[in-house]
Amino acid sequence: MNRKEFLQFGTMGMTGMALFPANLFAEETKKANLDKFPSRLPYTKNGDWKEFHLSVNITQQELAPAMKIHTLTFNQTMPGPEIRVKEGDKVRVFFKNNTELNHTIHWHGIYVPWRMDGVPYVTQMPVMPGKEFVYEFTAEPYGTHFYHCHWGTLLHMQSGMFGSLIVEKDDDPIKKAFPYDREYTLVYSAHDVNFLRNELNGMLERMKERMYMMQTGRFDPEWFNLFDSMEELQKAIANGYQPPYLVNRRAPADLPEPNWFTVNGKSYPSTPYLYIKTGETIRVRLINAGTENHHLHLHGHDFWMVCDDGVPLPQPWQRNTLSLSPGKTYDIIIEGTNRGIWTFHDHDTRRVTNNGLYPGGNLMALVYEDLPEEERVIQPMKKMKMGNMNKGKGRDMLPKIALDE
Amino acid sequence: MKTFKYILTAVFLGATLLAQSQVLPEIELGAKAVVSGNINMDDAGAASAVADFSDSQILLGFRQKLYSNWRGQMVFGMQFPDADSDLGQVFFNHVFVQVENQKNIFKLGRSTTQTIINEFPTLRDDDALYFTYALNPFSVGANTQDNQYGNVLEYTHIFDQRYWFTIHAENYADLSNPTSFKLNGLGGSFLYIVPETQVWNRNILQRAGFSYNSYLTDRPGYTGYAQALKEMLGALTFNVHPDPVNFVDLRIQGIYNIGFSEIDSLNTYEEYVRSPSVYFYSSVRYLRRKLERPKFQTSAGFGYRSFSQVDASNQWIGIFNMFYRLGENFDFGFQYRYQHNKGQSGLLFGNAAHRFQLTLVYTIDHVFNSQFDDRNSLLNLEHGYMK
Repeated sequence: MNRKEFLQFGTMGMTGMALFPANLFAEETKKANLDKFPSRLPYTKNGDWKEFHLSVNITQQELAPAMKIHTLTFNQTMPGPEIRVKEGDKVRVFFKNNTELNHTIHWHGIYVPWRMDGVPYVTQMPVMPGKEFVYEFTAEPYGTHFYHCHWGTLLHMQSGMFGSLIVEKDDDPIKKAFPYDREYTLVYSAHDVNFLRNELNGMLERMKERMYMMQTGRFDPEWFNLFDSMEELQKAIANGYQPPYLVNRRAPADLPEPNWFTVNGKSYPSTPYLYIKTGETIRVRLINAGTENHHLHLHGHDFWMVCDDGVPLPQPWQRNTLSLSPGKTYDIIIEGTNRGIWTFHDHDTRRVTNNGLYPGGNLMALVYEDLPEEERVIQPMKKMKMGNMNKGKGRDMLPKIALDE
Repeated sequence: MKTFKYILTAVFLGATLLAQSQVLPEIELGAKAVVSGNINMDDAGAASAVADFSDSQILLGFRQKLYSNWRGQMVFGMQFPDADSDLGQVFFNHVFVQVENQKNIFKLGRSTTQTIINEFPTLRDDDALYFTYALNPFSVGANTQDNQYGNVLEYTHIFDQRYWFTIHAENYADLSNPTSFKLNGLGGSFLYIVPETQVWNRNILQRAGFSYNSYLTDRPGYTGYAQALKEMLGALTFNVHPDPVNFVDLRIQGIYNIGFSEIDSLNTYEEYVRSPSVYFYSSVRYLRRKLERPKFQTSAGFGYRSFSQVDASNQWIGIFNMFYRLGENFDFGFQYRYQHNKGQSGLLFGNAAHRFQLTLVYTIDHVFNSQFDDRNSLLNLEHGYMK
């Protein structure tokens, strides 16, 4: 093996094999993996209505081992719990705001009555600190959708206020066309953690003041930057009011530059695994609740893209890469036809980094549970003729989690 | 040993260069330009006018997380002192290194001393120096910086976010022995401080505490710690009207200089600072905020100082000022100060002095390359400290 071959072989080994833990096939790993997908939000029946309860709190989220951030979360999970209903169900969601910030919930892709759309000052007043709002709508259309906060959207969504909303139907057309054995939901996001921290602190400070002013009956359009009409705004400017976006009130700050990328609230090496067996078919619901495009690529397979924004495609597309833009949902079908451990990741490789360091971000894997024992052993280093590299290291295999390549 | 040191340095240097991975720290830039036109008048009616830019300064701080998740920081600061201060054109008021975590702070280097435990709304920090600071007994009074800054060694432990217990030792500037850097000050303080992010909506008490300072002087006729000059400080700040628009607070600080009982005159500055005395300063401040920012501030302060061993001698001071914000970071202001010195203090400082000041102040404080949160951010205070 010459030097060039050595480097190629070494690189392949590290990128292809060394990214996932050795105990992938252990029952406890599979069990723990279930917690890496959104939990179902339970409901109670009240007449014709399915009633759900959501609340928002400020919590701490561990994106990757030893890396925590403050987040805004529905029911203290990121993403929020999955709401799963049948098409035509009457849905009632009690939303309680346990923070000192304003919030709403927008039901992304759902044909809600316009007063239920969750856009502050357009369809409703914001849900103020300590207050509750009840959303009511009929679950339609069928498909993969999501919900998210629509107040201070840039900050609040990055902070974790999003969750999946799945509208099922009994005669599911995808199930008919591709009888699948199990399904997964993956919610993507991207986070500029420095922006989050600084803006969240600033917003908390401002809201404490504004709430106090509201409580003492001193609503001030200029202080709150809220006007009833363009004419009122123009008049205020003529009288000396400076809008908050001008450089005499705000430095020309850069827009957020995400440096952490998550799937279901986790970055590699904490991202979930998609388990499959040979001959099985799985459905994966992909939701982009973040601000970045994700060019998702599956190694070793094509998949079928079967739904776009929840809408079943008349002709499923066979492909191995798709572009999941912000606000978009796709459903894909993966058939278990090529046994192995296959990387599933963003091919814009800036998004498979943690704080700029590869590997990280939304790197994850499709794992065949029935991979024979002998194929699970990654090439021992001595067989790779890598000389004395592993001598004295107490191991004869490469490590399985790489944090720096 | 010298060779070993050289090798160790070379090894670390090489490792850093090889990895190309030096962590770019947070960089904090602070700057303040205080420029005023002063008109001074004494009790005889003699007047003088000066352009004054003292107390203007630049601070540059670098801060990063350590492997243990503690934070390490270094700060360099330079200040333009009074023209007749004997400190030259530029005085390095901050050159220190600090290591801290949520509850502990170690600080080493040139920085502010624990000679004041409250803050007062005056144009410059030293405008009421003789009433607000425990004065440095090693100073000859040529400048104010001798009382405000020193080479310090401090440890602070913070209990329950608001209780600050500090022990400290200092090397105060000693002009009689300028090349000596031995520790000549010792003390400790215990303060209750409401974090700035929570100040406006806390009823009544904003700050309270006390401090004990001692200065290891060469008091004639005494030995050991009996030679030390000892001072006790107490401070209170009340939120009279905590409100985000119209905010009023009342601040007070009292100092008891136990002093040297054998000093019964104020013929020199040294006698002035070593003579037993009791003094205080108090201010009331009104802050008007608009669009979530300070817009206008006015305050009035009064201070008094008496000397128990010196007959019929005392001092008092009154300061009134107002500041108007012209734009972010930029203020226009006016300040009037009257100081009256009675008895022997009048012989030292003159009987009375008026000072009128018109000023423009530009202040900035910004962190570049932000990486982690401050101890007193609302997230860290109210939603769990993030290491």
